[in-house]
Amino acid sequence: MQILGQYTKDDRMCDLVSCHYRVLLVMSRFGIGLGFGDKSIDEVCREAGVDTTTFLVITNMLLSEDTAIYDPEKLSLEALLVYLQKSHTYFLGFRLPGIREKLVSIVDGAGDLSTAIINYFDGYIKGVNAHMRYEDEVVFPYVRALLAGSIPDDYRIEIFQKRHDQVEVMLTEFKNILIKYYPSESTNELNGVLLDIFECERDLASHNAVEDMLFVPAVAALEKNVEA
Amino acid sequence: MSVPVKITVAEPSVVIRNGMISVIKMLGSLKAEIFEIEDMEQLKGSLAWQTPDILIVNPAALGVFSLAQLRKDSGVAGMRCVALQSAFTDNALLKSYDEVISVYDSAETIREKLTRLVSEPEKDRRHESLSNREKEVIVCVIQGMTNKQIADRLCISTHTVITHRRNISAKLGIHSSAGLAIYAIVNKLVELDDIKDCVVEPQDE
Repeated sequence: MQILGQYTKDDRMCDLVSCHYRVLLVMSRFGIGLGFGDKSIDEVCREAGVDTTTFLVITNMLLSEDTAIYDPEKLSLEALLVYLQKSHTYFLGFRLPGIREKLVSIVDGAGDLSTAIINYFDGYIKGVNAHMRYEDEVVFPYVRALLAGSIPDDYRIEIFQKRHDQVEVMLTEFKNILIKYYPSESTNELNGVLLDIFECERDLASHNAVEDMLFVPAVAALEKNVEA
Repeated sequence: MSVPVKITVAEPSVVIRNGMISVIKMLGSLKAEIFEIEDMEQLKGSLAWQTPDILIVNPAALGVFSLAQLRKDSGVAGMRCVALQSAFTDNALLKSYDEVISVYDSAETIREKLTRLVSEPEKDRRHESLSNREKEVIVCVIQGMTNKQIADRLCISTHTVITHRRNISAKLGIHSSAGLAIYAIVNKLVELDDIKDCVVEPQDE
């Protein structure tokens, strides 16, 4: 462990990833591939065209679950936008459908119960979809307009801040229902999907944390600059 | 098995605060969800949303705030307060606390003190079985009925329906009707045909 879990740009990328496999999630969202030899974090980021500071701030936040306030002006909003949008694709296009598929194969044949479980999960996916689509269609275009130097009259990031709900809460409930009430002998498949759900829940929570603690303050700072 | 105990550690010194927190985490038998407060000014506001079962606080740092006032203002019913003693403290000041932990206490002593504090409410929390009335309410909820419709069907007031629903949520830890549907099927309260039109949307959406 580095002091206070803080990695700096001169550390080797391979050390970071070997110690903290969850960084893989951050990397894929920035479009950084593997095979970086002994290069430093800074070198790898620059070669991939990723803002190093933003990468480090997100990584350190993910690892330490650090709630320190970073100077929003130092973050690259462009990089954050890429990150958030790719996260959405990851959850909606890969993670949640993957969990659903496993669920279907596990509960298959459980009759009414399987229908109720899949219903629940589909309802959940629908909720996440609406949540993320709002960001894709309303919030992100607004931020892009801000970045281009204009400030639309009808929207402020404050609106987003107020309505931003914790999308992982229902997943937590679902997990608890399975744990407490799903009648089954212990099977590898069920445990497998539960582990996936635990991971995904954690992912969603840290995705939300990036939005609330990095993205929103950075946009608010930009709003001030553009207005001035 | 047990619900995590919510503990807030309010102590300005980062060394003592983190020390206390890591001791609590070491106590295997006590499952705790821990909050920390560094700035005493924020104490009152934070308690309202953290609603801890136990508040561990430095009595000297509490300063002008009186403990009785704090209990009242925070609105957290049944919160037990523990003084974390790291220096000499006037005994009169400690009287209003439920327990005193000294920084020289052993881990075992701290475990005993904390366990004693949480042992009572544990009993209440285990009552999870639903009354027949509550089961009836669940069946109505997953059929997509409104509180008013449920009240009419069961000949009770809407207010009572809401109380039942709140108790159901608390007992089962399930808040959505889709979740209740799973519970109801597992426990054979309903057949799927009864809930064809079940609302699968999350309640909060």
